[in-house]
Amino acid sequence: MRLTALLSMAAKAAFPRDYRYGTNRPWTIAAQRLNPPGKKRRKVFVEPIANEDWHVLRGDTVEILSGKDKGKQGKVAQVFRRRSWVILEGLNTHYRYIGRSGDYRGTYIASEAPLLLKDVTLIDPTDRKPTDIEWRYTEEGERVRVSVRTGRIIPKPVYQRRDGIIPQQWKDGPKDTSPEDTLQKTYTPSLKTLEEEVMEKMNIQEDRRPRKSYWY
Amino acid sequence: MGVLSALMRGLVRGADRMAEFTSKRGPRTFYKSRGARPTGVLTASRKFIPVQAMIPEFVVPSLEGFNLKPYVSYKTPAGTEQPMTPEMLFNQVLAPQIERDIEEGVFSEENLEKYGLEKTQEGKLFKLHPKNFVR
Repeated sequence: MRLTALLSMAAKAAFPRDYRYGTNRPWTIAAQRLNPPGKKRRKVFVEPIANEDWHVLRGDTVEILSGKDKGKQGKVAQVFRRRSWVILEGLNTHYRYIGRSGDYRGTYIASEAPLLLKDVTLIDPTDRKPTDIEWRYTEEGERVRVSVRTGRIIPKPVYQRRDGIIPQQWKDGPKDTSPEDTLQKTYTPSLKTLEEEVMEKMNIQEDRRPRKSYWY
Repeated sequence: MGVLSALMRGLVRGADRMAEFTSKRGPRTFYKSRGARPTGVLTASRKFIPVQAMIPEFVVPSLEGFNLKPYVSYKTPAGTEQPMTPEMLFNQVLAPQIERDIEEGVFSEENLEKYGLEKTQEGKLFKLHPKNFVR
């Protein structure tokens, strides 16, 4: 087989159907060490949950039902739908050394282990107790999560950007266009191209035409 | 495991023959351009005569009262205008004129040039097809 075909095959089959997803992102070197291209790992069985029925979102406060930190409440930092995993901030931790080089043993940090979805429940925001969740429709037709025990709606967690920027608290720099200037409508539709409009505006006369050429 | 998957696992043997042979490869006597357009003419006595018309010139209008800057503030909400489609352009630019002419009774299908619809792109500086401008 041709070399380019081989290389393109290796690039395309990056994530095969039975790829075992872990806590490392699939394009990192750590994930490549655990899942090199030819290796077939033991299959992990996950109860399939449709995307609409998924009730835990990033930023939610949840309570742990079983494990080392049973009974504690924490905020969801990451969600892995393919393996029904949820990683909470600072809970269910084990300790490891990170960044070791040469003789230096590295920094001793707490790293969170993922929890299965069935070991975790959402919390009713009003009485802060764990409840079961159902997806129901409001009178307006909006699909919301409702706690079965009390019937209160659990609001969606506020979306926080990954780079930590809060748009309302942003201070414009010298190279930032202000919102009023951005939303100003100055476009007048016309059949001219931009180049023709600019030529008209600046009174540029161009009577020469390029010589006709052919290519095959 | 088959031969192909064994090959793909480790390093693939041999150099990549289909890679582009640029001026960065080959011996130092190998000369090849990277695609820059010429700005003049090379004569028989190997003298280069620059031609002013072949050197690109940026035509920049005056930026007085121009408030747009390179970046957009994060506070800006999402806009509500739809992207322009050919149908919208027609409806906004040509449809009123055509309707007016139909009401007056002057509309004729042979005389569509007065609305701006061109029969051929010959003779135009900026042809739409084949497109001869970069934007």
